[in-house]
Amino acid sequence: MISKFLPRIAAVLAISCYAAEAQSPDYPAMLEERLASVVAVEFTIEHEMDRTVNTAYGIVIDNEGTVILESGAISDRATPNQLTDFKIYRPGQPSTQFARGEYVGQDGYTTWHFVKVAPEGRHNLKPITDFVSNDPGALPAMAETVWGIGLRQKDEDFAPYFLRSQVSMIQRLPQLTGIALQGVAGRGCPIFNNRGEFVGVGASGFGQRMMIYSQRRRGEMSVLLNPDEAAGFRLAPEVLSAVGRIPDNPFGRPLPWFGIDGIDPVAPEVAEFLGLGSATGLVISEIMQGSPAETGGLSPRDIIIAIDGRPLPRLKPDQVVAAHLMREILKRQPGDVITFTILRDKLELELPVELGDAPKTPKESERRYFEDFGLTVRETVFSDVVARREDPSQLSGVIVHFVKPSSPLGTAGVRVDDWVKEIDGTPVDSYAQAVELLDEAEASGRPELVLLVSRGGETAVMRAKIDA
Amino acid sequence: MTRLLLALVAVVAAALPVSGETSRGFRQLLDAVVRIDVREFAYEAGAKRFQSGVGSGVIGSEDGLILTNAHVVGLRAVEINVTLANLERVSAELVGWDHWTDLALLRLDPEEVANKGHKFAVAKFGDSERLDPGETVYAVGTPHGLTRTVTRGIISNPRRFFADSRGVKGYETGQFNTWLQTDAAINPGNSGGPLVTSNGRIVGINSRGYSGADNLGFAIPSTIAKRVMAGLAEDGAITRSYVGIVPGALRDLEDFYDLELNRGMLINSVDPGSPAAEAGLRGGDILLAINGEPVDGRFPEQLPPIKNLIASQPIGTQLRLTIKRAYATVDHRVVTEELVSRVGEESVVEVWGLSIREVSRPYARENQLPDEEGVLVIGVQRGFPAAVAGLSSGDVITKINDQPISSIADILAIAQAYENEPQQVLVEARRKFRVSLYVLKP
Repeated sequence: MISKFLPRIAAVLAISCYAAEAQSPDYPAMLEERLASVVAVEFTIEHEMDRTVNTAYGIVIDNEGTVILESGAISDRATPNQLTDFKIYRPGQPSTQFARGEYVGQDGYTTWHFVKVAPEGRHNLKPITDFVSNDPGALPAMAETVWGIGLRQKDEDFAPYFLRSQVSMIQRLPQLTGIALQGVAGRGCPIFNNRGEFVGVGASGFGQRMMIYSQRRRGEMSVLLNPDEAAGFRLAPEVLSAVGRIPDNPFGRPLPWFGIDGIDPVAPEVAEFLGLGSATGLVISEIMQGSPAETGGLSPRDIIIAIDGRPLPRLKPDQVVAAHLMREILKRQPGDVITFTILRDKLELELPVELGDAPKTPKESERRYFEDFGLTVRETVFSDVVARREDPSQLSGVIVHFVKPSSPLGTAGVRVDDWVKEIDGTPVDSYAQAVELLDEAEASGRPELVLLVSRGGETAVMRAKIDA
Repeated sequence: MTRLLLALVAVVAAALPVSGETSRGFRQLLDAVVRIDVREFAYEAGAKRFQSGVGSGVIGSEDGLILTNAHVVGLRAVEINVTLANLERVSAELVGWDHWTDLALLRLDPEEVANKGHKFAVAKFGDSERLDPGETVYAVGTPHGLTRTVTRGIISNPRRFFADSRGVKGYETGQFNTWLQTDAAINPGNSGGPLVTSNGRIVGINSRGYSGADNLGFAIPSTIAKRVMAGLAEDGAITRSYVGIVPGALRDLEDFYDLELNRGMLINSVDPGSPAAEAGLRGGDILLAINGEPVDGRFPEQLPPIKNLIASQPIGTQLRLTIKRAYATVDHRVVTEELVSRVGEESVVEVWGLSIREVSRPYARENQLPDEEGVLVIGVQRGFPAAVAGLSSGDVITKINDQPISSIADILAIAQAYENEPQQVLVEARRKFRVSLYVLKP
């Protein structure tokens, strides 16, 4: 009975779809309405010597004025303390009118940055969720027409413009990502289908390999990226997962911690050799001292082949599998238990690991700039010591975070990421002590500052002449 | 006007070796300078390849010992041809090699010399310690293959310090000697030829020039060359001692360390795991004396003699190092080890297109590797199994087919088995700190 009617239903559906396509969508009206979900965000990053003003585009995700910006919108090196003066502009409005905004934080799992628009700027903003289809998990079809919004620069009042393309490919990278034939939205701006339903957010240009021919250098292969318009976009389910993940602190804590390093996906030939069939594996190069992975019994060179009983998927390119593992960890909470199936000496082992709380990150470390020396030092954190191949249970010394060019210390040869072990002959045991020593040195008016720094496993004494 | 002209002529005349005694010495020197054509192989890019080169040398003994540069004739020379001053060609063999001073010693084939009755002159050494800046010197050699070229210049600096960690065919050089700097034109091919005074006495062995600079040439001082030549003639190599301290110039830091003027050497770094590290030395310490003898390392050019003092001790010697740290001065006993190069023994697995090198202690330290296990990949040949699998230079092979690899011999044995019966091989390698797996396919 049902089967008898199926072809007819399918045919009706096909006709109605065709009809929808044929009846040209009212793009101007749809665009006008959906602009209420798009903002331009201007913010300042305060550096030691100067400040930079940056602009990014974002979408509104709720009625409380929360805006999300893609992870690349804010430099990884900038700490929340350095981010100031957030201004929210509406597309096409005079650029003299803006609302204030406030940085909320970054979510560790989705990597989105969250910004809050001040209450007076929230009127007429519409959350993107107003435009989500009835089936929030739905993905656009191959070759489906999608359209998006682009914004011009500030000098043109962030004027909106229309872009349209077709879906060329859907990928898990491991985020659900769509790729269009060409730029279909500004970075951070929304993309819709012909029914006006939200399908994704412009993420990046789609790198295309091009040959450059010039009279000087011929035939060099380059990758061209359009910085303004994104052909690659994060798909709606991926974006909407951010809605429930507004961090309540700038660093997105609590952050789960596993404690492995050097995750290397095995090539298909190797997977075949190891008898993994259609699945794949990840070689774990290093297990961090004192980490949950160590406590859970993992060893360097173990090959992870499944997480909670699910074999690792063969995502492409190979490196995406490593990102998939990290996401599997980051979407959990400290205290959660993950069971890893690993391959060790050709034997399969099941190892349950209780995730820990991530140690302080370099971004969270305390820091201070010493103007007389042209030097910013920051607290040594776990990952600094791991990266320098030393015992991370000893967080001594401080890390050079910034050296002013041609400053006394710059001239003496001190470089960013040097590890300061001694200041004026006194071993540095903690950040507080380093600050005390540097304060004291600055106040003393001594004509020199002598540091013992470690770089690449070698130490060197560096002497800076300080101007009186 | 005439007077001025005469004066000019006189100056020029004084600069040329014309007077009776000096011209004889200079002529004898010219008769002792040779051209060296060498063919050697290298394990580059996953294959054994031959290369040829031209350099210079100078005959330093009646039995046909020739001093040249280590970067002219290397350990892998398969054919060495020497062209004597009388344009006769004689084959020669490598007697000894020392990359630290960039010197190599060859010997003319005695049978060939005897059978054909070849005649050659023997050069005499002068004293490089007594050179003054501004003194006229001559470089003799084969620049760009132009045999028997003499160029003239002055001693620009008699004690120049520079060290190069990869300067001689990838080996370290310049740690234990200073160099003579000259503005006599030194071009490629001059290497190994002598730098002489106007009476034809060797004061240096020309070694290198700054490319892209005008007339900045460098030579190994003859006092060092003579000593190394004797050592190489005796043992074929110079054995040196190592304690693991990396010195720095103390310049301007005497006050900070509360030192007497011209006393002490700054220890910038101590190699992890070295005898000095075991003894408790660390960066920032000041070395005041070695076995009670005060050291003075104020300026960079004073460092090589101090390093050489340590290096010239027999291996296993116990040294008493007087170390000042903050306000305390303490004697530390350090037993020397043998100094080794960062460049280990090399080989090639041609069937895989894979050039390999032993991981040396210095290489492991330089790259912060946990140990000296494994074998370093130094080249792969495009399209061959190693390259196809994704191995590349800098990878350290740690396991093959679950068998730990600690030496070249381990790999060659497995490669031999592969050649007899080719089948897939699983390779575990470390790139920097990342462990990866590769499958080599027939």
